[in-house]
Amino acid sequence: MIKTIIIDDEPLAAEIVKEYLADFSQFTIVCVCSDGFQGLKAIQEHEPDLIFLDVQMPKITGFEMLELLEEPPAVIFTTAFDEFAVQAFNAMALDYLLKPFSKARFTQAIEKFLTQKETVKSSAALKLNELAEKRNRMVVRVKNEIKIIPTHEVSFFEADDDYITIHKGPDKYLKKMTMKSLEEALDPMKFVRVHRSFMINLNEITNIEPYERENYLVKMRDGKQVPVSKSGYARLRQVLGI
Amino acid sequence: MFAKAFANPYKSIWITQGAGVIWLFATFLILNFYGIEEVTALVDASVFACFFLLGIGMLDKVFSFYIPKGSNNWLLLILPLFYSLAAVYMHQYVMKMIFSQDVTYLSFLQNHFFLRWAFLGLAEVMVALIAIVMSKLEQQEESQKRIAIMNELSREAELTQLRQQLQPHFLFNSLNSISALVVSHPLKAREMVLQLSDFLRGTIKKDHHKWISLEEEMTYLKMYLDIEQVRFGHRLEVVFEVKDEAKSLSLPQLLIQPLLENAIKHGLYGIIEDVKIILSASKEQNYLSIKIENPFDPEVVAPKGTGFGLSSINRRLFLLFGRKDLLSSKAELSTFKITLKIPQTR
Repeated sequence: MIKTIIIDDEPLAAEIVKEYLADFSQFTIVCVCSDGFQGLKAIQEHEPDLIFLDVQMPKITGFEMLELLEEPPAVIFTTAFDEFAVQAFNAMALDYLLKPFSKARFTQAIEKFLTQKETVKSSAALKLNELAEKRNRMVVRVKNEIKIIPTHEVSFFEADDDYITIHKGPDKYLKKMTMKSLEEALDPMKFVRVHRSFMINLNEITNIEPYERENYLVKMRDGKQVPVSKSGYARLRQVLGI
Repeated sequence: MFAKAFANPYKSIWITQGAGVIWLFATFLILNFYGIEEVTALVDASVFACFFLLGIGMLDKVFSFYIPKGSNNWLLLILPLFYSLAAVYMHQYVMKMIFSQDVTYLSFLQNHFFLRWAFLGLAEVMVALIAIVMSKLEQQEESQKRIAIMNELSREAELTQLRQQLQPHFLFNSLNSISALVVSHPLKAREMVLQLSDFLRGTIKKDHHKWISLEEEMTYLKMYLDIEQVRFGHRLEVVFEVKDEAKSLSLPQLLIQPLLENAIKHGLYGIIEDVKIILSASKEQNYLSIKIENPFDPEVVAPKGTGFGLSSINRRLFLLFGRKDLLSSKAELSTFKITLKIPQTR
């Protein structure tokens, strides 16, 4: 049996997936959720093989929900977003279905899942953050709570193996993400990668001072100091126009 | 202003001075022809030409600041004539001082006083006319430019408006709902097709400048809400609190719908719980006041691209009324409230 979860905030939209999926007897729908929070819980509980995921949902989007998963299952997005926006997250998922979609198109997506499911997981996780649009918020999990952090309130990001530590005032949050994908996701006019493992919010800088040869230190508003490498300093100067 | 009478304004100074020189020579030749000594004639002509140029300068200045209209049109004639009278008198006074011994010249000067005034007066009236025509032309050009810019702006606003109303997201999600209903509830599906058609027709065909009563606008809003109810009926509730006195008040078409859609969107995607939207309307002095309330979570920043700002509605209000204070919004605890005021001109 292939365990499947449908996550969509519109009951009728979930209905149609249920209806189409009824013809594939090897699939079983273990849960239908109406938002990302329920979705997260259900995914942890049932460990599904495949999820149908809407993008625009209450409070957190489908993308953001997916990011909170350590090992996301295979995902088929169902969305009414236009083609252009869809391209952006094409890489994140096994397939995407543009609402309204036909039975034939749905079957195609299912077949894709049945033939490719072995290779899907890793690539989906890798490319999770290749979103064209720059982000203005990050969703993190703190114990059992989900927090939404506006990026403009973040002081700086610090890389830590596969994780990023988000420094916001006295608080720290951990998120599974690479520095590279973070750099791609944030507005380059507001955030600069000043070091191999540090990315700072330009609005939070209080001063920049030299430190050892060719290296610098940036002091942030919250009092913390961030090292700046030689190439990081060049990028910083370019963005600040100094 | 006078300078603009010429294709190249920079050349005008030379043309004005050239006119002065011609004036000088013509006066000199005429005086000489009537037997005035050459030196005397030259001095007379030079002073006269100076007064002529002074007149041009003065009239140019006056009529570039002030264009006489209607009952003040007489200024156009009186000003140059009065100036030339004064100028001819001054000229005579100066000449009398210089050539106080030359009796023949002085009597000539005396005898031709009015002829001189007539010449100078005529010339200055012409100058005044040209200056006025140029000012008016320029004014016209400016107002034409303004009208063109206005048209451009309102066209843009209309396009933005249209794009907003025909949000693909809304349209495709509605179609998706229909697709789901077709099998399970065919009659409901047909009903929704009709609702969607009515709504779209209303959006496309309506003249954005036309004013309608609030009551009419509400039937259009209900059409839109019926569709949203099919999609989100399980957690969306919209309440109208419209006072009777407000129902007959008028407003420009399609102004409330984007605001309502905005409130619904922020409610539906901002919180997890059920969403209650309250739309209230009342009469406040000479305004139709419309308030829309939606719940929101102050801690959640809306992800990009999920909502549109109120800026385009503000822009449209500015185009319609030339005011920027008609739309206001504020957040109170977990309620977001916007207030729209429509001046009742009629």
